[in-house]
Amino acid sequence: MTTAQARFPRSTPPAQPTDADKQLLQFAQGVELAARDLYKKAADSGKYADDELAMLTLFGEHHNSYAQAMNGLIGKAATNTRNDSLYSTHVGQLASPQSAYASLQSLENTLAATNTDILGQLAGLDAARILASIITIEARMAAVFGTLPSLSITSAMNASANSLAPKIAQVKMATTETTVAP
Amino acid sequence: MNNISRRDALRVGGLSVFGAAFLAACGKQSGVVPSANILSEGAVTPTTALPEGVVTDTVLLRTAASLEYNAIELYDLILNDGMLTGDYAKLTDAVKRFRDDHQAHANTVNALAVSLGGKAHTCANDRMNRLYIQPALKLVTEKGNPDTSRDIIALVHAMENIGVQTYQGFVATLAAPSLRAEVMRIATDEARHSVVFAQVLNGGYASVGPTNNETTGKPNIASVPAAFGSLSSVLLSVGTPNVDNLKPTLTLETPSLNGLIYDFVDCQ
Repeated sequence: MTTAQARFPRSTPPAQPTDADKQLLQFAQGVELAARDLYKKAADSGKYADDELAMLTLFGEHHNSYAQAMNGLIGKAATNTRNDSLYSTHVGQLASPQSAYASLQSLENTLAATNTDILGQLAGLDAARILASIITIEARMAAVFGTLPSLSITSAMNASANSLAPKIAQVKMATTETTVAP
Repeated sequence: MNNISRRDALRVGGLSVFGAAFLAACGKQSGVVPSANILSEGAVTPTTALPEGVVTDTVLLRTAASLEYNAIELYDLILNDGMLTGDYAKLTDAVKRFRDDHQAHANTVNALAVSLGGKAHTCANDRMNRLYIQPALKLVTEKGNPDTSRDIIALVHAMENIGVQTYQGFVATLAAPSLRAEVMRIATDEARHSVVFAQVLNGGYASVGPTNNETTGKPNIASVPAAFGSLSSVLLSVGTPNVDNLKPTLTLETPSLNGLIYDFVDCQ
């Protein structure tokens, strides 16, 4: 076996999302759309201006990009509907900038934890790659709320969050190998 | 009647003599001891080929552990050599905490490697050290560099980003989906380290997203440099500025195939 061949596991996972993956990604898309709407709510509140407003708008756009990326992965299976439960949990805390930052940090931590759990269930590599690239940025966005307006290492490193990820079992894939009679 | 002329007989005879001499030269010669060395002067030292490197989940986890030890060594150097001075001295507690975080990460990935039947790897990645860390440290600590503390933080910031990218990149190669989640939990921790240092090096709301240096056009350090986590190389500007006030720039990359900690690699 050459090194190049050895790079890939013997049973190469599928690139495209499986049916179970699609359900998981539908859920992930819902929480990303909830995050997009929460940032829009904060940005439209009139409590923020200039660079701070630009940052909140940027973060909202990132979540919109994630929802669109999932659209690309699951195509017609996409529901494009936000997770209302997650939205309702946080929307009431956007009233003051101080509680808003704590709430948005908690939101980002929840998304990072949820997407990480979803990643652990995905079979398809295309979705796994994209989700991994989303998770690192959501962790960064969470940490930003611990560093601004003033730097707190404890807050920046606070990753406590409950994952909302559903558990969806993968159906065993049928093998394409055939048995040849002796 | 025989038609062979005298000239033909001489030609055939000459060829026979030449052929015999040629075959004799190719064969063993009496009195000569056979040698493995062909047409060489002196004895050639026998070589031992490296074992075949097979990239498995265990190898990836051991490689991750090696990078964690690179970070631990770097943080220990900062603490032991008192490299944080002035305002940067306030970061001492953060540096201690992050070093401990990396030790916990190393323990986690090593435990995963052992659970898969592999060996724990408890030392730094020599190739990463030689290619990136030592050259950067040379620039950071050279005489005349007015920003040693700032530059050493820039170096650990870059190494945190390399750590994040390494784990993110491994997701596409790890065979077990559960391992992908395990390594990304570590990656998120290191992404948070990176944000703390990014805010120290280039703080404020305006520096959270991507911006570029107006003079050089190079990207500034950002807490959230892009919408999606990048896997491209990491730029690091450290050392004594030149006449145009520009620091030398190094390019750091995640471990390639010849930087992986294969099963046959041991700590020296």
